[in-house]
Amino acid sequence: MSQVKGKVLKHAGQTRLMHWIHLICFVILGITGLGFYFKIITIDYIFGGIGNASVVHRWLGVVFTVGPLLYILTNFGRFSRFIDTISTFTKDDFKWLKTMGGYIPGLKGEVPPQDKYNAGQKLLGWLVIICCFLFFVTGFPMWLWRHAMPPQLLGLCYDIHFWDAVIAILAVAGHFFLAAIHPKSRVEFASMMTNGYVEAAVSAHHNEKWFATLQNDSELKA
Amino acid sequence: MNTFQEKTNLTRRQFLRGSGVLAATAILGGILAKFGFNVQARSQEYIAQRANGLYSLDERMTLRKSHENPEILQIYKEFLSPGGVTPLSEKAHHLLHTKYGDEIPELIAELKQHSHQAA
Ligand code: HEM
Repeated sequence: MSQVKGKVLKHAGQTRLMHWIHLICFVILGITGLGFYFKIITIDYIFGGIGNASVVHRWLGVVFTVGPLLYILTNFGRFSRFIDTISTFTKDDFKWLKTMGGYIPGLKGEVPPQDKYNAGQKLLGWLVIICCFLFFVTGFPMWLWRHAMPPQLLGLCYDIHFWDAVIAILAVAGHFFLAAIHPKSRVEFASMMTNGYVEAAVSAHHNEKWFATLQNDSELKA
Repeated sequence: MNTFQEKTNLTRRQFLRGSGVLAATAILGGILAKFGFNVQARSQEYIAQRANGLYSLDERMTLRKSHENPEILQIYKEFLSPGGVTPLSEKAHHLLHTKYGDEIPELIAELKQHSHQAA
């Protein structure tokens, strides 16, 4: 591992704020949503009864949509760099996928150098974008046009919304495991959840290609 | 402390990809929203037409109020409340009101009894 000293600002303040807002909304939306689907009445009671749980779900859906949208519009540069990173797939990314970055026991092999996000994180990025889009385009019609849509179409929205939730919850569970629990990668947790920094040595090792493009503040000041 | 940061400039490629994804999402979302608004408008139109239809059918009827319908008045006078018109008379209540919920088994028993009597 590289012995470079210092810290890297990986996630800016607004990014962390948006991530927190989206996370909290997602958890509560997921809990209330599964409560509706499986008719778990206790969950509804926690949110003040069936009607209120539904109101909470819908209005948190609004925050869940408007939060990232505001972030994208006010941080267009950051958003564009993110999209650029996750839409760049090189040989190194495919090699990463073959070895799954060394995270799966038994899958051995050399892990190639990665960008700011490794190939797995890039795929998760797309999955989150697609899942959120599907939540928006099914959730709002289920709320606002439920009496206008043909019942079959409304039913289709419900089905897509539910299976979208299943996929998103499983993906986010994996994301949580790798970012917060797995000993090799849990340093990421403190970075996104608290001050945005990671150790330079960790970054130089896990995100070698990205690290090479960074600028050193002390050089800037000099 | 020795700190490192991302460069804040935006390359042409980054800009194009960022705006591309945003535009594609907006267009796809816009098309779906347009479709939804059309469905909503069509549904409102249908509701308005249906309401108009019901009102105009109603307006064309000669008898528009049940309590002024001579046949109904006659049924009351001759059968439901002999000698006068008394809505909610005991017989009217018994014969004209529906039963539901817990009252259903009792109703079934009563109907069975009638059919035995008729037989
Ligand atoms: C854009 C954001 C969202 C909106 C506007 C939205 C809206 C809705 C609406 C209107 C319903 C119908 C139930 C009711 O009205 O009470 C619903 C159900 C549901 N939602 Fe959401 N929702 C959103 C995001 C999410 C997210 C992020 C999840 C999960 C992580 C989720 C999971 C569910 C589930 C599982 C159901 C039950 C589906 C079913 O019964 O088939 N929703 N949602």
